[in-house]
Amino acid sequence: MRTVASNTIQNETGVSSEAGTDPTRRGFLGRLTAAVAAVGALVAGWPLLRSLVPNVLYEPPKRFRIGAPENFQEGVTFLEEHRLFLFRDSSNYHAVSGICTHLGCTVKFSPFTLPQEETVREFTYRALGEFHCPCHGSRFRGEGTNYAGPAPRPLKCFHLEVSRATGELVVDVATEVSRDFRLVV
Amino acid sequence: MILSKITGVWQKLTWSWRPESNREAGSGIVANFLLHWFPNRISLRSLAFPASFYLGTITFVVFLVLTVTGVILMFLYVPSVERAYWSLKDLDHAVSFGWLLRRLHRISAHLMVALVFLHMFRVFLTGSYKAGEIVKSARPFNWVLGVTLLVLTLLLSFTGYLLPWDQLAFWAITVGTNIAAAVPYVGETIRQFLLGGTIIGQPTLIRFYVLHCALLPLVLFGVAAWHMWRIRKDGGLAIVEQDRQEALAREPQAPKKSKTYSVLGIASGTTVQVNDPTTLNEENSVPSTPFLTVRILLVTLLTVAVSIGLSLVVHAPLEAAANPEVTPNPAKAPWYFLGLQEMVGYSALMGGVIVPTIVILGLMLIPFLDREQKGIGFWFTDGPGRKWGVFGFVYGLVTTCGCLAMALLAPMRSIFPTIESQFFFDLVNPATFLLLLFAGMYFVVLKKTASTRYAAIATFCAFIIAFVILTYTGTALRGPNWDFFWPWQAWPVHPTAL
Repeated sequence: MRTVASNTIQNETGVSSEAGTDPTRRGFLGRLTAAVAAVGALVAGWPLLRSLVPNVLYEPPKRFRIGAPENFQEGVTFLEEHRLFLFRDSSNYHAVSGICTHLGCTVKFSPFTLPQEETVREFTYRALGEFHCPCHGSRFRGEGTNYAGPAPRPLKCFHLEVSRATGELVVDVATEVSRDFRLVV
Repeated sequence: MILSKITGVWQKLTWSWRPESNREAGSGIVANFLLHWFPNRISLRSLAFPASFYLGTITFVVFLVLTVTGVILMFLYVPSVERAYWSLKDLDHAVSFGWLLRRLHRISAHLMVALVFLHMFRVFLTGSYKAGEIVKSARPFNWVLGVTLLVLTLLLSFTGYLLPWDQLAFWAITVGTNIAAAVPYVGETIRQFLLGGTIIGQPTLIRFYVLHCALLPLVLFGVAAWHMWRIRKDGGLAIVEQDRQEALAREPQAPKKSKTYSVLGIASGTTVQVNDPTTLNEENSVPSTPFLTVRILLVTLLTVAVSIGLSLVVHAPLEAAANPEVTPNPAKAPWYFLGLQEMVGYSALMGGVIVPTIVILGLMLIPFLDREQKGIGFWFTDGPGRKWGVFGFVYGLVTTCGCLAMALLAPMRSIFPTIESQFFFDLVNPATFLLLLFAGMYFVVLKKTASTRYAAIATFCAFIIAFVILTYTGTALRGPNWDFFWPWQAWPVHPTAL
């Protein structure tokens, strides 16, 4: 009996001197409880958090028809609900995103009085104007390259095709193309 | 007869038990929360108006006003994209006093943000985040809780900003959540988690609504309660540290009669002779009731009166319904984020992520960087402190105006027209320069004075003035296309379509 009692006392001294690595049964059970509680919290917390990450998005489709090619005027048309600019140069079409690459405001097209030949980053094209962002003053050349303000990247250009079913133009905003992409109709 | 019945019912409702002895009655008083909201006595120094301007109290009262008006507004508001805007219209035009509720809620929200900042300025400038040497208090930790409350207040205000679902709301949140997307690697994931999708829509509205009405207020209430409880535990306002020092210097007093309920049956009788070692005595303090209670009630009354008065005068604007297709020009975040938006105009990563992170971390670390214990509770510590404060103000004024002028007259992209790397401009821009100038000043003042307190005062004063100038610039001097306009210049009528 005596030895058992002195053992207990020794073990208790061990608790205070080396907290965290307590070798007693009580210490082990304490750590076990903490570990089970931590695992339990993770297991319980995961569904709570995961449920907040949507699996289905009820958002507008990324690929949509915008109308027959011949209905678009020569030059530039802003498609408000899709936030994109459609450029037409006789039978050449291309689409430029209207979403500023800085913080997502809709850029405005500021037309030149007269179109002018322009070379931006070794790409020559006929510029109709340039894009200005109302939020933080970013500016983009007519083909999308950012040249002033905080915008970190050029405006995106989207893939265009002609719908086989209806003959309308189809924009795919999930597919980015280079700025020299032109759809010839 | 009726009166005694009413008293009986009242006692049944309010008393959980009837004390059978003096000891039980004493326990009842000791355990009573309301009777211990304030300490028994309050130091004359803490009671003085200039010690705190009661800014913390006012902030809490404004929070209560927000809670009460907010709960009523919850009955009248539908968090759906189809109906949110029209509930706001109803509040303004169809609900009795709906306009008053909305204005009061809005003005109180703006006041609360402003007051939290002012309270922080007060606590910093009076050195009230210091632990003190006599009783090591936990004030440094309470300062950290305070910074947490500042962040929570900003989050509450920001989530509430979307709820009217008008153009102002929609685009402020567009800009705000896109700032989160500037965080390297995980930015876009964070943004989509906040939005509940890839664009601002119904999932975003309901997320912000629940955060605004349930989660954030609960958390804020919990942390605020902790914050105030800590003030009690730390012995009141930091200026009490001066009373403590005087008490230490005083001759020990002869034992005297003390309060009766403190013995609680441990000793017999109703009085006991004790040597009172406490800081507060008849000369330097007064009973909290009525002196503090009446002041707090007065401050509460004035705060509510001023909020209501302001909401009678200041209109709550409601723009056109949210339209993702049309960005208003200019599109601005809430006013307290416009200083950040100004810097976000230089670089989204620097102005929107790095600078705010450094500011918040820097604020939290102040009590651990500055461990000097002199002049606790005094504005600017002492004479040299005031001098360094003025220096910081002037330095902040000059450098901030300099960086603004640089951003306006010599944008980085025009200085380095050949560089295309975005990383370069994220690192080299006026916001970075300002950050480096302030950090540099901290170390120069530290070296010159060998005092962390003076260095902290100078840096903090520079921070205050930079915050004010940048916020003012973003609010008043930025027009269409984020172009710069002096206050006397008219904004051009800008073509909004092709």
